[in-house]
Amino acid sequence: MYSDELEKLFARRGITPGDRVKVAVNGMTFEGILMPRPEFGDNGTLVLKLPNGYNVGMHLGKRPRLEKINGKRAKFEFPKAKLERKEGLPDVTIIATGGTIGAKVDYETGGVHWLLDPEELLYTVPELKGIANYRVVNLMSIGSEDMMYRDWQEIAKTAAKELSRSRGVVITTGTDTMHYTSAALSFMLRGINGPVVITGSQRSSDRGSSDAFMNLACAARIAANANVAEVGVCMHATSSDTSCNFIRGTKVRKMHTTRRDAFRPIDSPTIANVTREGEITYTDEQRVRIKDDGRELHMLKGYEPRVALLKFYPNADPEIIDHYLEKKYRGLIIEGTGMGHVAVSPHDAKYSWLSHIKRAVDSGMIVGITSQTINGRVNPNVYTNGRLILGAGAIYCEDMLPEVALVKLGVLLGNHRRQEAAQLLTRNIAGEISERSEVGLQL
Amino acid sequence: MLDKGDYRKLGFKCGLEVHQRLATQTKLFCGCDAQLPNDVSVAEVERRQRAVAGELGSIDQSAAFETSKDRKFVYNAFAKTTCLVELDEEPPHALNREALDIAMQIVASLRARAPDELEVMRKEVVDGSDTSGFQRTMLVGYDGSIETAGRRIGIPTVFLEEESAGIEYNDSGVAVYNLDRLGVPLMEIDTNPDLETPEEAKAAAAALGLMLRLTGRVQRGIGSIRQDVNVSIREGARVEIKGFQDLDTMDTVIANEVERQLRLVEIRNELAKRKAKVHAAHADVTSVFGETKARIVAKSIMGDGIVMAARLEGFVGVLGREVNAGRRLGSEISDYAKFAGLGGIIHSDEDLPGYGFSEREIGTLRNLLGLGPSDAFIMVTGERGACARAIDAACARAAQALEGVPKETRGVDQKTLVTTFLRPLPGGERMYPETDVRPMAIDAGMLELAKSKAVDAESVSRRLRKAIGNRQLEEQMLWSQHLGRFLEIVEKTGADGSVVAATLLEKVTQLRRSGVNVGAIGDDAMLKVFAEYGKSSIAKAAIEEILKREPKNGADVERIIKSERLERLKGRELELAIKEAGDGGEREDRLRRIMSKHRLNIDGDELRAMLK
Repeated sequence: MYSDELEKLFARRGITPGDRVKVAVNGMTFEGILMPRPEFGDNGTLVLKLPNGYNVGMHLGKRPRLEKINGKRAKFEFPKAKLERKEGLPDVTIIATGGTIGAKVDYETGGVHWLLDPEELLYTVPELKGIANYRVVNLMSIGSEDMMYRDWQEIAKTAAKELSRSRGVVITTGTDTMHYTSAALSFMLRGINGPVVITGSQRSSDRGSSDAFMNLACAARIAANANVAEVGVCMHATSSDTSCNFIRGTKVRKMHTTRRDAFRPIDSPTIANVTREGEITYTDEQRVRIKDDGRELHMLKGYEPRVALLKFYPNADPEIIDHYLEKKYRGLIIEGTGMGHVAVSPHDAKYSWLSHIKRAVDSGMIVGITSQTINGRVNPNVYTNGRLILGAGAIYCEDMLPEVALVKLGVLLGNHRRQEAAQLLTRNIAGEISERSEVGLQL
Repeated sequence: MLDKGDYRKLGFKCGLEVHQRLATQTKLFCGCDAQLPNDVSVAEVERRQRAVAGELGSIDQSAAFETSKDRKFVYNAFAKTTCLVELDEEPPHALNREALDIAMQIVASLRARAPDELEVMRKEVVDGSDTSGFQRTMLVGYDGSIETAGRRIGIPTVFLEEESAGIEYNDSGVAVYNLDRLGVPLMEIDTNPDLETPEEAKAAAAALGLMLRLTGRVQRGIGSIRQDVNVSIREGARVEIKGFQDLDTMDTVIANEVERQLRLVEIRNELAKRKAKVHAAHADVTSVFGETKARIVAKSIMGDGIVMAARLEGFVGVLGREVNAGRRLGSEISDYAKFAGLGGIIHSDEDLPGYGFSEREIGTLRNLLGLGPSDAFIMVTGERGACARAIDAACARAAQALEGVPKETRGVDQKTLVTTFLRPLPGGERMYPETDVRPMAIDAGMLELAKSKAVDAESVSRRLRKAIGNRQLEEQMLWSQHLGRFLEIVEKTGADGSVVAATLLEKVTQLRRSGVNVGAIGDDAMLKVFAEYGKSSIAKAAIEEILKREPKNGADVERIIKSERLERLKGRELELAIKEAGDGGEREDRLRRIMSKHRLNIDGDELRAMLK
């Protein structure tokens, strides 16, 4: 929005952003399109798009000379490509949920809008042609941070339904919370019978260099051709547009704010690598689940949202646990230091977490311990601290990622009784816990 | 040669775009070194790019053309001059204030006006020269002008933008770029398209180049300044010429381009008279050449290639018409086939038996294509897909001959000084806001500062004339990197300008060649040396003696004068020295005797005057 003064002036002249206008500034007259005010900067500065395509900001001065002129309003029409069925190709459903991958720039505002029409998508990513026959479900269009557990449930439900008709499912979503979503789907979808491939992009698809194109094409390859029954994330393997990794949904984490290859397997090899040309290589055939536990595909419907993730740090006040207890939280995952530690005997006893953890557990809360080192396994037996924390009733979560443990606890508490949930927390359900800590994995 | 009046009659239109790299410490949108040292390549990434829908939905023509080539781009990243920003792995950082400061100085020097707020834009580029697929650019000035050869040339727009990546290797499948150059601040200065003659275009380019250099804050050396010229004649079309390596030949190249457009207009008129047509359909004619002796074709077929040909109705003889010395319409069409990835075309106005084609082959081909006596054909050979793309492109160019001059971006053939096709001219509709960078207000203080630093080439020339008084030295100094330093020294010390100029331009170079580390001599020391000389405390010959010892500051200079006994002999001391030498012999002998003893302490001219 522009300043009140300018908005009033526009109203008087019957002008709205997007109109062609004539402005006189410093004795020079400009014609161009009035642009909406960018979020930042001085809202008293008018932004005009000149005929050469450049935007400039100008002050109108005390006696503004601004008028609307006739001419077409700038309008954005996105080109489309036709969706055609081709016999002999597998069926793949693309479920769009939002995020950068579905974003296009609104050329009027410079803001980001969602690319929802499947035909627009196919136009933007012609590589998708020839891999599969697509169904596109526009489920939602929300950014990473706005994603809630109900959205995970909605996505899981849709994926389960689509897996009954398609060979595989591709889910496009925002990258910032992608590893939470992948964990949620890993736990919610049981007896999975095909690939559920989550993908996104670190660079919006309105730019020619976007990673969206290859990510989406590789994800479609996995969904159409890979012999796996897993929930996983498919994103750039390196900075180059040469191949993508398909990483297990419970062993993946966004490890960089902006790089294309931000999604890394943690304490685990990737499941597969798929090249731009479509060649799939499996890292470890043994590891790939072709079909889950023989049961029919079903969905765990419940989720307990009163679970929290808490990071320990020097000087951290344990009263925060009491707060969660008061708010009737049923589960807490603590990101401890090193092998899973929190303060137990500081100079100031007020800062010992021990009694607070004990009280929480005694009141029925499940307290899980993970590590902020991200890589490696927690172990309560090496230091006294750990033994005391274990003694207070906390559960050590093996080599589970903190975010994965959080989501798992939510799913467990939403579908099982407390006792059962506590037991299942340290039992491997969807590849989130490995029995062996393998040699040779990269940090 | 055409004169001004002839150009006016032809409807000659010509404007310049001058691109100049700025000499900032860091790049425009990140903290990487912008001075392009010989950096070490540390990583290589491989990327693909595509045209995406432009601002108004449609895909830019030149963008689509690049994508159709399905090319791979390889980028070399360097240790000091590249970071994740250049790799398109991180959003841009804040705008470089030093670059903005220089840009404003240039805007002020052009007497242009600045917008109240800068809006950074993304300009789409898909030749791979930018990892992001766009160039960041902003309009920083408008409504300026520059004086050249007595006429004021309008400067409607001035831009500050990112330099593109430098190309290292290029073929039809892959382009390799170095990222060290990408993101270096670059100014673009456009003139109005009303330059009246090729000579005036050259003069305007020289005037802009001089102004930029005079700021003392622009990069120097090969490639740091580039001039693009837009040329058209009334019945022709706008052609953008890139890649002038030498300002001296700019007028010749422009004149040759005008000639080319004239010839193409004549060809259009001839083709219209003949009611010529280009048939979009083309045929696989490989079977005609099963036994051919034409080596190009035989070799291609052996390697699983095919031959495709198309009929150009009414084109006979026209393909062989010259458009520039040594270049024919056929060459123009061939350039398009090359751009699509093949070696070129063979056409019916060429010496076909010379290629090794037999009469029978040509006859069969003409029959197969259904050619009449007034028809011509074009032919390409190579891999099937490349053939199809190349013949399409060639036919499209042939069809443009019916319309006249196509809008193109063209390069300069450095040997023959004619232009050759590079790619279609990019259309509009390819700009959108860079949402990752905030708009930036230009305040009055910034503008005042810029105005105080504005350079005026005319006044600098005047100052040089006054200070030096030697045409050759003036000219040398005007184009020298020492200009700024020279003006400062003359102004502050009052030393004789011709001595200062000769020292900076000649002596310093000699010293460097003899192994003196002249880079170690501080600005302060240099000022002090000339201050001493200016107040006659040292003789001219002592200047070199002091500089030889690499003084870092003024105190060093004083110390060296003392320890090396370089004080100039004046008054009684000088008289004493003359007396000491005795008065035997001729005047010249006495002079020599005295100077051999006191060379560094006596000014030869002064002594000569005293011995009279």
